[in-house]
Amino acid sequence: MIFIIDDDQIMAECIKRASKKDAKIFSNAIEAMTEISNGTIPSLIFLDILLDGPDGFTFLNELVSYDDTKKIPIVIVSSLDFKDKNLADYGVVGVLNKDDMVPEEIKKYAEEYDR
Amino acid sequence: MESEVDGILVAAHELKAPLAVLRQLALSFDEMDTTNETIRSEMIQVSERAIKQVNDLAKIRRLEDGLFKMEPVAIREVCDAVSRELSLLFRFNNRDLFIKYSNRSRLVAANRELLYSVIYNFLLNAMHYSSEETRAELIVRESGGKIKVLVRDFGPALPLEVWKEMKRGWLKKPTSIAMRPGSSGLGLYIASKFSRYMNAEVGAIRHRDGTSFYVNLPISKQMSLF
Repeated sequence: MIFIIDDDQIMAECIKRASKKDAKIFSNAIEAMTEISNGTIPSLIFLDILLDGPDGFTFLNELVSYDDTKKIPIVIVSSLDFKDKNLADYGVVGVLNKDDMVPEEIKKYAEEYDR
Repeated sequence: MESEVDGILVAAHELKAPLAVLRQLALSFDEMDTTNETIRSEMIQVSERAIKQVNDLAKIRRLEDGLFKMEPVAIREVCDAVSRELSLLFRFNNRDLFIKYSNRSRLVAANRELLYSVIYNFLLNAMHYSSEETRAELIVRESGGKIKVLVRDFGPALPLEVWKEMKRGWLKKPTSIAMRPGSSGLGLYIASKFSRYMNAEVGAIRHRDGTSFYVNLPISKQMSLF
């Protein structure tokens, strides 16, 4: 199961369509964290950074704080520029810029991490 | 100067976001033929909101030229028109919109076009900040010899610094509550500017479970026909 965390419902649906996988959409980090706390560990998370309430970085910090969540692969999907940032310590396996990403890139990550 | 640049940055970001969504929707056409109608409808919604936001920004410049005449406006008719326009969007986003008119319909002294935008931006903001299990509320009532149009959401509380600015009566610049399309700082800035032009008071009330934005409009001295 893939998680998509994006407060733009339509953008989240686009990512879900492009992934061609079973994916659950969350409009904020708290809802996603609650689902994880309840025992659903996703195979991959597509994460927006600017969110209502806690932002994407707060969410990343939460994930790396626990053994059972720190290895969840994360793909950041944002219109902010993270290209030169090294976020591997946060479990970030990829960065997609909303301005120029294409569905094939989303699908590639989904296929690689959600088998 | 720095504050102006910040404002431009927020506005640019908010206007860029719907373009990124439109681009993804256009790319989605290849992904799934069966949902083309859904995608088409989503594209129309996103682009219409973006156009409206750009138009509102353009109107801010025209405020200085005094091109918007004040006139008696039937507040209920404007609220009905805005809620009709946004009803599809609310349904699409699984949000409810509750409307309550607690006074007989009155005429207010305003400019219809600007007032429409104020209510539109408040409602769009409320839709975005209300979670799926809750609703946004549009309430019109008479209060202290004025008509109060209040839009309540049941989402996260308004950041203190934005509330302080709203308490003062207007926002100096688009504020990065969170930089998203169709909600937050830019819409509130537009609503704030337009209200100020109409000599209407805008403000915000922080609740434990959300925020209310309101505008107080002077009642028109002309006799109401409604």
